[in-house]
Amino acid sequence: MSIATMREIEFRDAVREAMSEEMRRDMRVMLMGEEVAQYNGAYKVSRGMLDEFGPRRVIDTPISESGFAGMAIGAAMMGLRPIVEFMSWSFSLVAADPILNNAPKMLYMSGGQFGCPIVFRGNDGAGGQLGSTHSWSVEGLFSNVPGIKMVIPSNPYDAKGLMKTAIRDDDPVFFLESERLLSMRGEVPEEEYLIPFGQARIARAGTDCTIVAFGRMVNIALEVGMELEKEGISCEVLDMRTIRPLDAGSIIRSVKRTGACVVVDQSWSFGSPGSEVAALVHRECFDDLDNYVHRVHSADVPAPYAHNLEQEYLPNARRIAEAVRSCLYRS
Amino acid sequence: MPVQLTMPRLSDTMEAGTIVRWNVKEGDTVSSGDVVADVETDKATMEMPVFDDGVISKIMVEAGRQVPVGTPIAIISVDGDDAGSIVAVAGAPVAVAAKSVPINSAPAKTAVAAPSVSASASASSSASAPSVQSDAVRQRVSPLARRMAEEMGISVASIVGSGPSGRVVKQDVLAAAELLKSGGARSVGLVHVASPVQSATAVVPIGAGASEVMLSGMRQAIARRLVESKSTIPHYQVTMRFNMDPLLELRTMLNAQLEPQKIKLSVNDFIVRACALAMAAHPFFNASWAGDRIILHGDVNIGVAISLPMERGGGLVVAVLKQAQRKGLREISTETRALAEKARTRGLGPEDMAGATFTISNLGMFGVDNFTAIINPPNSAILACGAAVEQPVVRNHQLVVGHEMQATLSLDHRVIDGAMASEYLQSVKHNIENPATLLV
Repeated sequence: MSIATMREIEFRDAVREAMSEEMRRDMRVMLMGEEVAQYNGAYKVSRGMLDEFGPRRVIDTPISESGFAGMAIGAAMMGLRPIVEFMSWSFSLVAADPILNNAPKMLYMSGGQFGCPIVFRGNDGAGGQLGSTHSWSVEGLFSNVPGIKMVIPSNPYDAKGLMKTAIRDDDPVFFLESERLLSMRGEVPEEEYLIPFGQARIARAGTDCTIVAFGRMVNIALEVGMELEKEGISCEVLDMRTIRPLDAGSIIRSVKRTGACVVVDQSWSFGSPGSEVAALVHRECFDDLDNYVHRVHSADVPAPYAHNLEQEYLPNARRIAEAVRSCLYRS
Repeated sequence: MPVQLTMPRLSDTMEAGTIVRWNVKEGDTVSSGDVVADVETDKATMEMPVFDDGVISKIMVEAGRQVPVGTPIAIISVDGDDAGSIVAVAGAPVAVAAKSVPINSAPAKTAVAAPSVSASASASSSASAPSVQSDAVRQRVSPLARRMAEEMGISVASIVGSGPSGRVVKQDVLAAAELLKSGGARSVGLVHVASPVQSATAVVPIGAGASEVMLSGMRQAIARRLVESKSTIPHYQVTMRFNMDPLLELRTMLNAQLEPQKIKLSVNDFIVRACALAMAAHPFFNASWAGDRIILHGDVNIGVAISLPMERGGGLVVAVLKQAQRKGLREISTETRALAEKARTRGLGPEDMAGATFTISNLGMFGVDNFTAIINPPNSAILACGAAVEQPVVRNHQLVVGHEMQATLSLDHRVIDGAMASEYLQSVKHNIENPATLLV
């Protein structure tokens, strides 16, 4: 295996590199959204793309999510492969009908005549004091819908490799970035690579407790893993990378090794990826469990605006560590 | 409503069964009484009849697989069933009944009635000692801890749990294993329960010419039950010699007179009758130890140990003569013969083997002088009979030639003390040496 040429770049650069590389590779790929072109993106993810690809492929849209999401679906049905940026996934709720009712069902309802190869992408989760309506974690809500794929990267390397796979995928892909991760730096090779969907990464190997985490939560779980090591607790952290498809095999194998499982999912607990993982583990690993699956979610209330309340509302290191200790009967 | 077939409990001790063969396939029409499968239990291979008319809509356990009693194995759809309700039945396996349901609670809440074969089998086994714990004192054990304890051969019942509500968790099992290893187990009452099968495999050196014999369900049951008996019941033995001449003389005469009726009384038939009649004065020989009390059974159900020929896989079954105290020699003889014949050809059914309260094992036909037997739980005693041997004996201060038989009782000392054992043997001896009493 040749040694890759690594350099350190930001998460937002990794996403942009993936989009640009795929647009150079495939003329059908295009980017559209609010301020993605002339302003270089509200979060500067698409910096320089208008200059390279021109206004026919990098399109500024009106502030009308329902309109441009629907337009993208039409474009996808006619053969293009659009990338749609939502400034925040919170704003995708006004486009619920196109993204949930049209895109995921198009292939099925057209009897296979029309696919819908679209990537919907944007910031997910609490950005930091943005208030209840702009702090959505949509994974609980949207992962419920069959027909979509859902990606939730935790670092620049995964963001790039998963984005390239997302653009080449023939189904609608919901790509959940995090405003809090966009400036995160990480090593990314110069060379091209893709990361397949449905393959979790063992972010930290351990023997006592499996922590199943999604997206930004993986990084907090890793901090917890280091902290608990000092208490003699060895945590294995699984970075799931994709919620749909969910890599059940990796979860099951890990829990069978450790006998304990904590799920960290920033969405609300009721009917969520976390509850799905818990059901899976209870079914597949029943005889391997020393305790029930412990779950750490956002509190079951609208996201608060106050800084201290928001910190307590979100899954944080303290709550995750408490869950691990409790799961291992060490609290 | 479709009917769910579950693995029936075909014997008192059966915990799981193997479908040896399905005689039907999906789509076949069956009617009540049809034998749909052969099931191997811990004792024998038995036929499994159905009690409904309908169509086998689904076979859920393929031949060759062993599943616990109560596991759904097939579904019969009766007239008017739609596919949806069949799926609903298949998707809701009935809870494994016998073990987890407190005896005084309502029947399991399931829309599907348990097949009547298992219901009748468990009813007939009601004589065995109840050992069901109530929910209130049920021990809590995490699934992992339960599995680890099983693998390590440690009884979870002897471990005190440190989890919520006393739940036994992984660290408790590890601590118990440490304690067992260090030899400190006795002080905290830990019990090591390595199964006979497991403990043997680890230590047997295998030489060049050796071969292995896989354990049949019956062999496993014999191993498990006899280890349980020998390691939990405080056995002791009492032997007595019987003068067999009067009995042999009476038997010769009776058999000559009964020959036209094709009846041939065996020595064992007389012994069964003698033992059953002696129970009236000695009720503790027809009893079971039940932990905090002793159960005196009303009817005398005498188990007769029958060895099976190698072509039926060998091994041993205990056929049960129900209400033997009410049966005469003729009935005892014909019934025993029928049971032995059935055991050696078709195999005994659950009814034939359930509910023994006292057991007789006879190796006289092999010329054995005497031997001791292991008690057949939940019995309190077993009688081991040798051959009636012609030998020099002292009768009326004279050395003469006569027939004597040695009989050895093995007893559960928790139920029966030495003097009681001797008195019972004296009663049996009186019955045998004065055999005319056995005729009336």
